[in-house]
Amino acid sequence: MKGKTKDLTDEELHQFVEKAKTNDNRAIGKLCEHFYSKIYRFIYYRVNSIDDAEDLTSDVCLRVIKSLPEQKGLFYAWIFRIASNVITDYYRRRAVRSNVTSIGDLIEEMVDERRTTGELLEQQELRQAIKHLTEEQQQVIVLKFIEGYDTDEVAELVGKSAGAVRAIQFRALTALRNIFASDMYIRKDRKG
Amino acid sequence: MEQNIELLLDNCIDEIRKGKSVDECLANYPQYANQLKPLLQLAEQIENLPLPNPSFESLSSALINIGKEMEWDAATTEIPEAIVTSQRDVKGFAAPMKKRKSFSILSRRYPFGNVFRRPKLVWALSSFLFFAVIFGAVTVSANSVPGDILYPLKLVTEKVNFLLTFDSYGKAELRLNFSDKRLNELVEVFQQSNTLDTTLLKDMLDEAKLALEENEIPVEKASILTAKLNHISAYQKTVLENIRPAVQTSDRRIVDEAINMCNMRSGWMRRMNEEYQEQFNEQDTTPQSQTPHRKKQQPKRMQWGPDCDWME
Repeated sequence: MKGKTKDLTDEELHQFVEKAKTNDNRAIGKLCEHFYSKIYRFIYYRVNSIDDAEDLTSDVCLRVIKSLPEQKGLFYAWIFRIASNVITDYYRRRAVRSNVTSIGDLIEEMVDERRTTGELLEQQELRQAIKHLTEEQQQVIVLKFIEGYDTDEVAELVGKSAGAVRAIQFRALTALRNIFASDMYIRKDRKG
Repeated sequence: MEQNIELLLDNCIDEIRKGKSVDECLANYPQYANQLKPLLQLAEQIENLPLPNPSFESLSSALINIGKEMEWDAATTEIPEAIVTSQRDVKGFAAPMKKRKSFSILSRRYPFGNVFRRPKLVWALSSFLFFAVIFGAVTVSANSVPGDILYPLKLVTEKVNFLLTFDSYGKAELRLNFSDKRLNELVEVFQQSNTLDTTLLKDMLDEAKLALEENEIPVEKASILTAKLNHISAYQKTVLENIRPAVQTSDRRIVDEAINMCNMRSGWMRRMNEEYQEQFNEQDTTPQSQTPHRKKQQPKRMQWGPDCDWME
Protein backbone atom coordinates (compact mmCIF):
# COMPACT_ATOMS: atom_id res chain seq x y z
CA MET A 1 0.00 0.00 0.00
CA LYS A 2 2.92 2.27 0.64
CA GLY A 3 3.59 3.33 -2.96
CA LYS A 4 0.00 3.89 -3.89
CA THR A 5 -0.77 7.49 -4.55
CA LYS A 6 -3.66 8.54 -2.41
CA ASP A 7 -4.22 12.08 -3.55
CA LEU A 8 -6.44 11.13 -6.52
CA THR A 9 -9.44 8.84 -6.50
CA ASP A 10 -10.16 6.73 -9.55
CA GLU A 11 -12.92 9.13 -10.51
CA GLU A 12 -10.63 12.16 -10.17
CA LEU A 13 -7.93 10.37 -12.13
CA HIS A 14 -10.41 9.63 -14.91
CA GLN A 15 -11.48 13.28 -14.99
CA PHE A 16 -7.88 14.50 -15.18
CA VAL A 17 -7.11 12.05 -17.96
CA GLU A 18 -10.11 13.21 -19.96
CA LYS A 19 -9.19 16.87 -19.45
CA ALA A 20 -5.57 16.18 -20.31
CA LYS A 21 -6.71 14.61 -23.56
CA THR A 22 -8.14 18.00 -24.52
CA ASN A 23 -4.72 19.61 -23.87
CA ASP A 24 -5.77 21.10 -20.55
CA ASN A 25 -2.36 22.13 -19.24
CA ARG A 26 -3.37 22.05 -15.61
CA ALA A 27 -4.69 18.53 -15.93
CA ILE A 28 -1.54 17.44 -17.76
CA GLY A 29 0.62 18.92 -15.01
CA LYS A 30 -1.44 17.28 -12.30
CA LEU A 31 -1.36 13.92 -14.06
CA CYS A 32 2.42 14.07 -14.48
CA GLU A 33 2.84 14.90 -10.82
CA HIS A 34 0.60 12.00 -9.96
CA PHE A 35 2.24 9.25 -11.96
CA TYR A 36 5.84 10.48 -12.16
CA SER A 37 7.00 8.84 -8.91
CA LYS A 38 5.24 5.59 -9.75
CA ILE A 39 6.91 5.37 -13.12
CA TYR A 40 10.23 6.33 -11.61
CA ARG A 41 10.05 3.50 -9.07
CA PHE A 42 8.86 1.09 -11.73
CA ILE A 43 11.93 1.96 -13.81
CA TYR A 44 14.35 2.36 -10.92
CA TYR A 45 14.42 -1.36 -10.15
CA ARG A 46 15.08 -2.24 -13.74
CA VAL A 47 17.98 0.00 -14.72
CA ASN A 48 21.42 0.46 -13.31
CA SER A 49 21.58 4.11 -12.35
CA ILE A 50 19.44 6.86 -10.85
CA ASP A 51 20.31 9.14 -13.77
CA ASP A 52 19.08 6.60 -16.27
CA ALA A 53 15.93 6.05 -14.22
CA GLU A 54 15.20 9.79 -14.21
CA ASP A 55 15.89 10.18 -17.90
CA LEU A 56 13.70 7.25 -18.81
CA THR A 57 10.93 8.44 -16.50
CA SER A 58 11.01 11.81 -18.21
CA ASP A 59 10.87 10.04 -21.56
CA VAL A 60 7.88 7.97 -20.44
CA CYS A 61 6.07 11.10 -19.25
CA LEU A 62 6.57 12.75 -22.58
CA ARG A 63 5.36 9.70 -24.47
CA VAL A 64 2.35 9.37 -22.19
CA ILE A 65 1.32 12.99 -22.69
CA LYS A 66 1.89 12.85 -26.45
CA SER A 67 -0.10 9.63 -26.80
CA LEU A 68 -2.90 10.63 -24.43
CA PRO A 69 -5.50 11.10 -27.17
CA GLU A 70 -5.05 7.44 -28.12
CA GLN A 71 -5.31 6.18 -24.52
CA LYS A 72 -7.97 3.57 -23.86
CA GLY A 73 -8.71 1.25 -20.96
CA LEU A 74 -7.03 1.29 -17.59
CA PHE A 75 -4.81 4.34 -17.36
CA TYR A 76 -2.07 2.84 -15.21
CA ALA A 77 -1.94 -0.38 -17.19
CA TRP A 78 -1.37 1.80 -20.24
CA ILE A 79 1.43 3.89 -18.74
CA PHE A 80 3.20 0.86 -17.27
CA ARG A 81 3.10 -0.70 -20.72
CA ILE A 82 4.69 2.45 -22.16
CA ALA A 83 7.29 2.35 -19.39
CA SER A 84 8.06 -1.29 -20.19
CA ASN A 85 8.52 -0.41 -23.86
CA VAL A 86 10.84 2.45 -22.95
CA ILE A 87 12.92 0.13 -20.76
CA THR A 88 13.07 -2.46 -23.54
CA ASP A 89 14.26 0.24 -25.96
CA TYR A 90 16.81 1.35 -23.39
CA TYR A 91 18.33 -2.10 -23.12
CA ARG A 92 18.16 -2.63 -26.84
CA ARG A 93 20.03 0.60 -27.38
CA ARG A 94 22.64 -0.17 -24.80
CA ALA A 95 22.77 -3.84 -25.71
CA VAL A 96 22.62 -4.64 -22.04
CA ARG A 97 20.56 -7.52 -20.80
CA SER A 98 18.21 -6.59 -18.01
CA ASN A 99 17.88 -10.08 -16.62
CA VAL A 100 20.33 -11.90 -14.45
CA THR A 101 22.76 -13.93 -16.49
CA SER A 102 24.62 -15.73 -13.84
CA ILE A 103 24.13 -16.00 -10.14
CA GLY A 104 27.91 -16.00 -9.78
CA ASP A 105 28.09 -12.49 -11.30
CA LEU A 106 25.33 -11.30 -9.02
CA ILE A 107 27.05 -12.66 -5.95
CA GLU A 108 30.27 -10.95 -6.95
CA GLU A 109 28.39 -7.65 -7.29
CA MET A 110 26.86 -8.14 -3.86
CA VAL A 111 30.20 -8.94 -2.28
CA ASP A 112 31.74 -5.86 -3.89
CA GLU A 113 28.92 -3.67 -2.63
CA ARG A 114 29.33 -5.05 0.85
CA ARG A 115 32.98 -4.14 0.80
CA THR A 116 32.30 -0.58 -0.26
CA THR A 117 29.22 0.40 1.69
CA GLY A 118 28.86 -1.61 4.86
CA GLU A 119 25.58 0.19 5.60
CA LEU A 120 22.05 -0.68 4.53
CA LEU A 121 23.54 -3.88 3.29
CA GLU A 122 20.37 -5.92 3.13
CA GLN A 123 18.43 -3.19 1.39
CA GLN A 124 21.07 -2.78 -1.25
CA GLU A 125 21.39 -6.49 -1.75
CA LEU A 126 17.66 -6.79 -2.07
CA ARG A 127 17.43 -3.95 -4.60
CA GLN A 128 20.28 -5.41 -6.54
CA ALA A 129 18.70 -8.84 -6.50
CA ILE A 130 15.35 -7.49 -7.76
CA LYS A 131 17.14 -5.95 -10.72
CA HIS A 132 18.29 -9.41 -11.68
CA LEU A 133 14.84 -10.98 -11.86
CA THR A 134 13.15 -11.53 -15.19
CA GLU A 135 11.20 -8.66 -16.69
CA GLU A 136 7.76 -9.94 -15.73
CA GLN A 137 8.96 -10.94 -12.25
CA GLN A 138 10.32 -7.42 -11.71
CA GLN A 139 7.03 -5.92 -12.85
CA VAL A 140 5.00 -8.01 -10.45
CA ILE A 141 7.37 -7.52 -7.51
CA VAL A 142 7.53 -3.76 -7.98
CA LEU A 143 3.79 -3.34 -8.48
CA LYS A 144 2.87 -5.67 -5.68
CA PHE A 145 5.44 -4.88 -2.98
CA ILE A 146 6.81 -1.46 -3.88
CA GLU A 147 3.67 0.17 -5.26
CA GLY A 148 1.39 -1.79 -2.95
CA TYR A 149 -1.23 -3.03 -5.40
CA ASP A 150 -3.13 -6.21 -4.58
CA THR A 151 -2.99 -9.27 -6.82
CA ASP A 152 -6.13 -8.45 -8.81
CA GLU A 153 -4.91 -4.91 -9.47
CA VAL A 154 -1.50 -6.15 -10.55
CA ALA A 155 -3.20 -8.64 -12.87
CA GLU A 156 -5.17 -5.81 -14.43
CA LEU A 157 -2.07 -3.62 -14.80
CA VAL A 158 0.09 -6.25 -16.43
CA GLY A 159 -2.72 -7.74 -18.48
CA LYS A 160 -2.57 -11.22 -16.98
CA SER A 161 -4.87 -13.35 -14.88
CA ALA A 162 -4.66 -13.25 -11.10
CA GLY A 163 -3.50 -16.88 -11.13
CA ALA A 164 -0.66 -16.02 -13.51
CA VAL A 165 0.36 -13.13 -11.28
CA ARG A 166 0.38 -15.41 -8.21
CA ALA A 167 2.58 -17.87 -10.09
CA ILE A 168 4.98 -15.12 -11.17
CA GLN A 169 5.03 -13.76 -7.63
CA PHE A 170 5.85 -17.19 -6.24
CA ARG A 171 8.62 -17.78 -8.77
CA ALA A 172 10.06 -14.31 -8.21
CA LEU A 173 10.23 -14.72 -4.43
CA THR A 174 11.68 -18.20 -4.85
CA ALA A 175 14.33 -16.83 -7.23
CA LEU A 176 15.23 -14.13 -4.74
CA ARG A 177 15.45 -16.70 -1.96
CA ASN A 178 17.76 -18.81 -4.13
CA ILE A 179 19.95 -15.83 -4.87
CA PHE A 180 20.31 -15.06 -1.19
CA ALA A 181 20.81 -18.72 -0.30
CA SER A 182 23.67 -18.91 -2.81
CA ASP A 183 25.08 -15.69 -1.43
CA MET A 184 25.02 -17.06 2.11
CA TYR A 185 26.61 -20.26 0.91
CA ILE A 186 29.38 -18.25 -0.73
CA ARG A 187 29.82 -16.16 2.41
CA LYS A 188 30.11 -19.27 4.60
CA ASP A 189 32.40 -20.85 2.06
CA ARG A 190 34.71 -17.82 2.09
CA LYS A 191 34.72 -17.67 5.88
CA GLY A 192 35.45 -21.41 6.07
CA MET B 1 0.13 -28.56 -5.16
CA GLU B 2 1.99 -25.67 -6.86
CA GLN B 3 -1.30 -23.90 -7.51
CA ASN B 4 -2.12 -24.24 -3.87
CA ILE B 5 1.14 -22.97 -2.54
CA GLU B 6 1.02 -19.93 -4.85
CA LEU B 7 -2.47 -19.16 -3.58
CA LEU B 8 -1.44 -19.76 0.02
CA LEU B 9 1.52 -17.42 -0.38
CA ASP B 10 -0.75 -14.74 -1.79
CA ASN B 11 -3.27 -15.20 1.02
CA CYS B 12 -0.52 -14.93 3.61
CA ILE B 13 0.77 -11.73 2.01
CA ASP B 14 -2.73 -10.28 2.18
CA GLU B 15 -3.07 -11.25 5.83
CA ILE B 16 0.33 -9.78 6.71
CA ARG B 17 -0.75 -6.56 5.04
CA LYS B 18 -3.81 -6.57 7.24
CA GLY B 19 -1.60 -6.71 10.32
CA LYS B 20 -0.83 -10.34 11.04
CA SER B 21 2.71 -11.53 11.65
CA VAL B 22 4.43 -14.13 9.46
CA ASP B 23 4.24 -16.73 12.18
CA GLU B 24 0.54 -16.10 12.78
CA CYS B 25 -0.15 -16.66 9.11
CA LEU B 26 1.97 -19.77 8.94
CA ALA B 27 0.18 -21.23 11.94
CA ASN B 28 -2.80 -21.79 9.63
CA TYR B 29 -0.67 -23.75 7.14
CA PRO B 30 1.86 -25.70 9.20
CA GLN B 31 2.57 -28.21 6.43
CA TYR B 32 3.87 -25.37 4.15
CA ALA B 33 5.51 -23.29 6.86
CA ASN B 34 9.08 -24.21 5.95
CA GLN B 35 8.52 -23.40 2.33
CA LEU B 36 6.51 -20.23 2.82
CA LYS B 37 8.42 -18.64 5.67
CA PRO B 38 11.50 -17.46 3.74
CA LEU B 39 9.29 -16.20 0.92
CA LEU B 40 7.08 -14.23 3.27
CA GLN B 41 10.08 -12.80 5.04
CA LEU B 42 11.47 -11.68 1.71
CA ALA B 43 8.14 -10.15 0.73
CA GLU B 44 8.08 -8.27 4.03
CA GLN B 45 11.63 -7.06 3.50
CA ILE B 46 10.80 -5.80 0.03
CA GLU B 47 7.73 -3.99 1.33
CA ASN B 48 9.88 -2.36 3.98
CA LEU B 49 12.42 -1.05 1.49
CA PRO B 50 12.56 2.73 1.53
CA LEU B 51 10.78 4.13 -1.52
CA PRO B 52 13.10 5.51 -4.13
CA ASN B 53 11.79 8.90 -5.15
CA PRO B 54 12.74 11.07 -8.10
CA SER B 55 14.38 14.42 -7.45
CA PHE B 56 12.48 17.67 -7.80
CA GLU B 57 14.90 18.67 -10.57
CA SER B 58 13.99 15.56 -12.49
CA LEU B 59 10.27 16.17 -12.20
CA SER B 60 10.64 19.85 -13.03
CA SER B 61 12.76 19.27 -16.08
CA ALA B 62 10.35 16.58 -17.26
CA LEU B 63 7.44 18.99 -16.92
CA ILE B 64 9.37 21.73 -18.67
CA ASN B 65 10.17 19.36 -21.52
CA ILE B 66 6.54 18.38 -21.76
CA GLY B 67 5.61 22.05 -21.69
CA LYS B 68 7.94 22.75 -24.58
CA GLU B 69 6.63 19.81 -26.56
CA MET B 70 3.04 20.72 -25.94
CA GLU B 71 3.71 24.43 -26.45
CA TRP B 72 2.10 25.44 -23.23
CA ASP B 73 1.22 29.05 -23.23
CA ALA B 74 2.35 30.34 -19.88
CA ALA B 75 0.68 33.67 -20.46
CA THR B 76 -2.79 32.20 -20.56
CA THR B 77 -2.63 29.03 -18.54
CA GLU B 78 -1.73 27.96 -15.09
CA ILE B 79 1.78 26.63 -14.51
CA PRO B 80 1.67 23.06 -13.17
CA GLU B 81 1.86 23.02 -9.42
CA ALA B 82 4.87 20.70 -9.43
CA ILE B 83 6.95 23.22 -11.33
CA VAL B 84 5.96 26.00 -8.99
CA THR B 85 6.86 23.79 -6.04
CA SER B 86 10.16 22.77 -7.51
CA GLN B 87 10.99 26.37 -8.34
CA ARG B 88 10.36 27.21 -4.75
CA ASP B 89 12.50 24.34 -3.52
CA VAL B 90 15.23 24.03 -6.08
CA LYS B 91 17.60 26.83 -6.90
CA GLY B 92 18.27 27.55 -10.52
CA PHE B 93 14.94 26.55 -11.97
CA ALA B 94 13.46 29.98 -12.32
CA ALA B 95 15.54 30.68 -15.40
CA PRO B 96 14.28 27.79 -17.53
CA MET B 97 10.70 28.71 -16.70
CA LYS B 98 11.15 32.31 -17.75
CA LYS B 99 12.78 31.13 -20.92
CA ARG B 100 9.89 28.84 -21.71
CA LYS B 101 7.42 31.65 -21.12
CA SER B 102 9.10 33.98 -23.54
CA PHE B 103 9.47 31.22 -26.14
CA SER B 104 5.83 30.50 -25.84
CA ILE B 105 4.93 34.10 -26.48
CA LEU B 106 7.31 34.20 -29.42
CA SER B 107 5.79 31.16 -31.03
CA ARG B 108 2.32 32.62 -30.66
CA ARG B 109 3.13 35.94 -32.26
CA TYR B 110 5.65 35.00 -34.90
CA PRO B 111 5.42 32.21 -37.43
CA PHE B 112 9.10 31.33 -36.96
CA GLY B 113 8.94 31.40 -33.17
CA ASN B 114 10.01 27.73 -33.01
CA VAL B 115 13.44 28.71 -34.30
CA PHE B 116 14.08 30.45 -31.00
CA ARG B 117 13.62 27.20 -29.12
CA ARG B 118 16.97 25.92 -30.40
CA PRO B 119 19.87 27.63 -28.64
CA LYS B 120 22.46 26.44 -31.18
CA LEU B 121 20.37 27.73 -34.06
CA VAL B 122 19.80 31.01 -32.26
CA TRP B 123 23.53 31.31 -31.68
CA ALA B 124 24.32 30.52 -35.31
CA LEU B 125 21.70 32.99 -36.54
CA SER B 126 22.95 35.70 -34.17
CA SER B 127 26.52 35.18 -35.30
CA PHE B 128 25.45 35.21 -38.94
CA LEU B 129 23.43 38.40 -38.45
CA PHE B 130 26.29 40.04 -36.56
CA PHE B 131 28.80 39.31 -39.31
CA ALA B 132 26.26 40.18 -42.01
CA VAL B 133 25.68 43.59 -40.39
CA ILE B 134 29.42 44.20 -40.01
CA PHE B 135 30.11 43.09 -43.57
CA GLY B 136 27.23 45.23 -44.88
CA ALA B 137 28.41 48.28 -42.95
CA VAL B 138 31.99 47.86 -44.16
CA THR B 139 30.80 47.46 -47.76
CA VAL B 140 28.56 50.51 -47.60
CA SER B 141 31.24 52.53 -45.82
CA ALA B 142 33.59 51.95 -48.78
CA ASN B 143 31.68 54.63 -50.69
CA SER B 144 31.44 57.07 -47.81
CA VAL B 145 33.12 60.48 -47.72
CA PRO B 146 34.11 62.74 -44.81
CA GLY B 147 30.97 63.84 -42.97
CA ASP B 148 29.17 60.52 -43.51
CA ILE B 149 28.34 58.42 -40.45
CA LEU B 150 30.19 55.42 -41.85
CA TYR B 151 33.34 57.28 -42.86
CA PRO B 152 35.19 56.54 -39.56
CA LEU B 153 34.40 52.84 -40.13
CA LYS B 154 35.99 53.12 -43.57
CA LEU B 155 39.20 54.53 -42.05
CA VAL B 156 39.23 51.86 -39.32
CA THR B 157 38.75 49.14 -41.94
CA GLU B 158 41.71 50.56 -43.89
CA LYS B 159 43.86 50.57 -40.77
CA VAL B 160 42.91 47.01 -39.91
CA ASN B 161 43.60 45.95 -43.46
CA PHE B 162 46.99 47.65 -43.31
CA LEU B 163 47.88 46.06 -39.96
CA LEU B 164 46.96 42.63 -41.27
CA THR B 165 49.27 43.02 -44.25
CA PHE B 166 52.76 41.89 -43.39
CA ASP B 167 54.91 42.26 -46.51
CA SER B 168 56.33 45.65 -47.45
CA TYR B 169 55.21 45.56 -51.07
CA GLY B 170 51.64 44.75 -49.97
CA LYS B 171 51.71 47.66 -47.53
CA ALA B 172 53.06 49.97 -50.24
CA GLU B 173 50.27 48.93 -52.60
CA LEU B 174 47.71 49.57 -49.87
CA ARG B 175 49.17 53.05 -49.39
CA LEU B 176 48.70 53.71 -53.10
CA ASN B 177 45.15 52.42 -52.83
CA PHE B 178 44.46 54.76 -49.87
CA SER B 179 45.98 57.66 -51.77
CA ASP B 180 43.67 56.94 -54.70
CA LYS B 181 40.65 56.74 -52.37
CA ARG B 182 41.50 60.12 -50.81
CA LEU B 183 41.59 61.65 -54.29
CA ASN B 184 38.17 60.20 -55.13
CA GLU B 185 36.78 61.48 -51.83
CA LEU B 186 38.29 64.90 -52.46
CA VAL B 187 36.61 65.09 -55.87
CA GLU B 188 33.26 63.93 -54.49
CA VAL B 189 33.34 66.41 -51.62
CA PHE B 190 34.33 69.13 -54.06
CA GLN B 191 31.43 68.27 -56.37
CA GLN B 192 28.98 68.25 -53.46
CA SER B 193 30.10 71.43 -51.67
CA ASN B 194 32.41 73.18 -54.09
CA THR B 195 35.04 73.42 -51.36
CA LEU B 196 38.51 71.94 -51.35
CA ASP B 197 39.13 69.58 -48.46
CA THR B 198 42.79 70.29 -47.82
CA THR B 199 43.00 67.48 -45.25
CA LEU B 200 42.07 64.96 -47.93
CA LEU B 201 44.57 66.54 -50.31
CA LYS B 202 47.31 66.28 -47.69
CA ASP B 203 46.36 62.67 -46.89
CA MET B 204 46.39 61.80 -50.58
CA LEU B 205 49.94 63.08 -51.00
CA ASP B 206 51.12 61.63 -47.68
CA GLU B 207 49.86 58.14 -48.49
CA ALA B 208 51.68 58.22 -51.82
CA LYS B 209 54.83 59.44 -50.09
CA LEU B 210 54.61 56.71 -47.43
CA ALA B 211 54.17 54.07 -50.11
CA LEU B 212 57.71 54.67 -51.28
CA GLU B 213 59.06 54.72 -47.77
CA GLU B 214 58.11 51.12 -47.06
CA ASN B 215 61.35 49.26 -46.36
CA GLU B 216 62.46 45.89 -47.64
CA ILE B 217 60.78 46.01 -51.05
CA PRO B 218 62.58 43.54 -53.35
CA VAL B 219 64.26 45.14 -56.37
CA GLU B 220 62.14 43.26 -58.90
CA LYS B 221 58.99 44.66 -57.29
CA ALA B 222 60.45 48.13 -56.75
CA SER B 223 60.26 48.84 -60.49
CA ILE B 224 56.56 47.89 -60.50
CA LEU B 225 55.96 50.15 -57.54
CA THR B 226 57.74 53.09 -59.13
CA ALA B 227 55.74 52.56 -62.33
CA LYS B 228 52.52 52.61 -60.36
CA LEU B 229 53.58 55.69 -58.42
CA ASN B 230 54.44 57.40 -61.66
CA HIS B 231 51.03 56.58 -63.05
CA ILE B 232 49.16 57.60 -59.88
CA SER B 233 51.06 60.86 -59.50
CA ALA B 234 50.35 61.72 -63.14
CA TYR B 235 46.69 60.88 -62.67
CA GLN B 236 46.45 62.95 -59.49
CA LYS B 237 48.07 65.88 -61.30
CA THR B 238 45.52 65.61 -64.14
CA VAL B 239 42.56 65.46 -61.77
CA LEU B 240 43.80 68.41 -59.73
CA GLU B 241 44.37 70.44 -62.90
CA ASN B 242 40.79 69.71 -63.94
CA ILE B 243 39.25 70.95 -60.71
CA ARG B 244 41.64 73.88 -60.28
CA PRO B 245 39.55 76.42 -62.26
CA ALA B 246 36.56 75.78 -60.02
CA VAL B 247 38.53 76.01 -56.78
CA GLN B 248 38.13 79.16 -54.73
CA THR B 249 40.92 81.67 -55.27
CA SER B 250 42.16 81.33 -51.71
CA ASP B 251 42.73 77.58 -52.21
CA ARG B 252 44.32 77.79 -55.64
CA ARG B 253 47.85 78.21 -54.25
CA ILE B 254 47.52 74.91 -52.38
CA VAL B 255 46.18 73.18 -55.47
CA ASP B 256 49.05 74.58 -57.53
CA GLU B 257 51.57 73.31 -55.01
CA ALA B 258 49.95 69.87 -55.06
CA ILE B 259 49.90 69.81 -58.89
CA ASN B 260 53.55 70.81 -58.95
CA MET B 261 54.44 68.11 -56.46
CA CYS B 262 52.53 65.40 -58.34
CA ASN B 263 54.32 66.51 -61.49
CA MET B 264 57.73 66.25 -59.81
CA ARG B 265 56.87 62.91 -58.24
CA SER B 266 55.73 61.56 -61.56
CA GLY B 267 58.97 62.69 -63.24
CA TRP B 268 61.11 61.32 -60.40
CA MET B 269 59.39 57.98 -60.50
CA ARG B 270 59.67 57.82 -64.28
CA ARG B 271 63.44 58.36 -64.06
CA MET B 272 63.77 55.89 -61.23
CA ASN B 273 61.86 53.32 -63.20
CA GLU B 274 64.13 53.84 -66.20
CA GLU B 275 67.15 53.21 -63.97
CA TYR B 276 65.65 49.95 -62.80
CA GLN B 277 64.96 48.89 -66.35
CA GLU B 278 68.56 49.60 -67.32
CA GLN B 279 69.82 47.57 -64.36
CA PHE B 280 67.65 44.64 -65.35
CA ASN B 281 68.78 44.85 -68.95
CA GLU B 282 72.43 44.78 -67.86
CA GLN B 283 71.85 41.80 -65.64
CA ASP B 284 70.07 39.93 -68.41
CA THR B 285 72.94 40.44 -70.89
CA THR B 286 75.62 39.32 -68.37
CA PRO B 287 76.61 35.69 -69.13
CA GLN B 288 75.60 33.20 -66.46
CA SER B 289 79.13 31.77 -66.35
CA GLN B 290 80.52 35.09 -65.16
CA THR B 291 78.20 35.16 -62.23
CA PRO B 292 78.16 31.59 -61.04
CA HIS B 293 77.22 32.58 -57.52
CA ARG B 294 74.86 35.35 -58.28
CA LYS B 295 73.83 37.01 -55.07
CA LYS B 296 70.21 37.35 -54.25
CA GLN B 297 69.15 40.88 -54.98
CA GLN B 298 68.97 42.90 -51.81
CA PRO B 299 65.89 44.94 -51.01
CA LYS B 300 66.28 48.51 -52.11
CA ARG B 301 65.53 51.51 -49.99
CA MET B 302 63.76 53.97 -52.26
CA GLN B 303 63.47 57.70 -51.77
CA TRP B 304 61.67 60.56 -53.35
CA GLY B 305 63.71 63.21 -55.14
CA PRO B 306 64.19 66.77 -53.87
CA ASP B 307 61.04 68.93 -53.58
CA CYS B 308 58.79 65.87 -53.63
CA ASP B 309 57.71 66.34 -49.98
CA TRP B 310 54.36 67.90 -49.22
CA MET B 311 54.75 71.29 -47.58
CA GLU B 312 52.03 72.58 -45.30
